[in-house]
Amino acid sequence: MNRRVLRGRLFILALGVALIYSLAGVGLLDAQKLARGLGNIALFSSDLFPPDAGVITTVAPAMVETLQIALVGTFIGTVVAMPLALLAMPILTNSAVAPGVRLVLAFIRTIPALLWGVLFVVAFGLGPAAGATGIGLYSAGYLGKLFYELLEGVDPEVVEAVRSVGCSRLQLARYALLPEAANGLLAQLLFMFEYNVRASSIMGFVGAGGIGYYMLGYIQLLRYDALLTAVLITLLVVIVIDWLSIRIRGAFLLHDA
Amino acid sequence: MTSERPLKDATGFTGRSSVNALQASPYAVEATDLSFSYGRGQHVLRSMDFAAPQGQITMVIGASGSGKTTLLKLVKGLLPLQEGRMTVLRKTYDSPGENRHITSEIAYIPQHLGLVRSLTVLQNALTGALGRLGLPYSLFGGFPHALIQEAKDRLTRIGLGEKIEEKVYNLSGGERQRVAIIRARMQNPRLILADEFVSQLDTVTTTTIMDALREQTRNDGVTYIQTTHELDLVLRFADRVSVISSGKVVLEAEGGAVDRQTLSEAIRS
Ligand SMILES: Nc1ncnc2c1ncn2[C@@H]1O[C@H](COP(=O)(O)OP(=O)(O)OP(=O)(O)O)[C@@H](O)[C@H]1O
Ligand SMILES: [Mg+2]
Repeated sequence: MNRRVLRGRLFILALGVALIYSLAGVGLLDAQKLARGLGNIALFSSDLFPPDAGVITTVAPAMVETLQIALVGTFIGTVVAMPLALLAMPILTNSAVAPGVRLVLAFIRTIPALLWGVLFVVAFGLGPAAGATGIGLYSAGYLGKLFYELLEGVDPEVVEAVRSVGCSRLQLARYALLPEAANGLLAQLLFMFEYNVRASSIMGFVGAGGIGYYMLGYIQLLRYDALLTAVLITLLVVIVIDWLSIRIRGAFLLHDA
Repeated sequence: MTSERPLKDATGFTGRSSVNALQASPYAVEATDLSFSYGRGQHVLRSMDFAAPQGQITMVIGASGSGKTTLLKLVKGLLPLQEGRMTVLRKTYDSPGENRHITSEIAYIPQHLGLVRSLTVLQNALTGALGRLGLPYSLFGGFPHALIQEAKDRLTRIGLGEKIEEKVYNLSGGERQRVAIIRARMQNPRLILADEFVSQLDTVTTTTIMDALREQTRNDGVTYIQTTHELDLVLRFADRVSVISSGKVVLEAEGGAVDRQTLSEAIRS
């Protein structure tokens, strides 16, 4: 047995040990606990059906609010992310500013959207304004990174060619980087919106608006049939938005050479 | 007659400099002892002496990997000067990195053209004029009417009149090359550097473009340097040719005075 094979097997063994240790740690090796859990799931599932159609009039407007949060959040994120992404490009700023901006973006991303939601509830009070700004800030961190990675991916020959005409940095961004990356930017924007619809639907858990507020309420009141209605509506909206997004992308990206 | 200048004489000066000392700088580009390496690797240019006469078409021919692109990028200032001395449009650079400033006086057409594919033919052409333009103007998409007309005229003359509003990704290879040359011309440059230009064009188009370029060099004193590995191009259109082989100029000659045999032997040397 040569050394590479030995190292491979040792690695798999170590992985196996770590997995078993973790299973025990989270309590899933406890047979009694497992049986109890599975039994409860069965009970809970039977309580879900049939979904309670009566709550639609409550849940549907909350879903609209969720979409509003996602849309406004994505908009705020884009408006903040775009200039930051440009500042994160060493070719447009310099080798001191760009890494600093990237660090700020990384910091924003380390805090989950839900936590930003909590912070903005403190600022704006309960309601969708907190959700939208929370989603907005989180999106800024995410989109900023996605955007500067796309700008970095622009064909270096195009950058060299346009730089060579003797233009300024802003002109370079306006006439080479942004148009070359435009398709990718749009695709990431749509992706972010899809993601934000999902993120917005749980913003209500912390009182930051949207359908999540009712989901949490129904769980606490053991109204699982009403919960199912809320979940189904969310699912429906997410599917429609994914489908729309594919259509939009198809229409715009058709000509990508 | 073939004017193979001595590459370097015993005193370390090139023969050419003393001969031409009385004329007002007959070379748009003159490099002596130019060496360059990418990072840790081997030297790509090794004590190269290169010169391109003002107002002429100089072709640089050499095998793949011989250092043609590297030479052009050094002249343009896209790569930093490392060793040696370089005079470009009368500015002399002799310390490392000193050449790194970009001016609209030098147009550069990269090997794969570097066009912005999602912009139209007209927009790409206008990009060439950005250096001549105030910032606020160009940022909000507005180019002065006179510039737009100039770009349209030039595009029409080169046979792209119908395609002005077409996006570049819809163009053929030859059409793209013509857009690239118009973008370069919109800079009003005194020196044009073109990497592997007019390869893959049909002969009629090549002749049209090269004749137009030759006329421009004659009339406006614009200097044109092009790299290639096509012997025919050199034999038909070069006023002057430099053959480079593993980072050195191994032969310099006037275009009309050199034969295929000599060239291909030099390329392989
Ligand atoms: N960015 C780079 N980093 C490292 N090595 C490079 C880089 N660019 C070019 N080289 C190397 O330098 C040498 C010369 O490259 P250069 O592009 O100047 O050749 P060329 O004469 O233009 O070739 P071709 O006809 O294929 O375009 C090659 O061996 C190449 O591998
Ligand atoms: Mg090359």
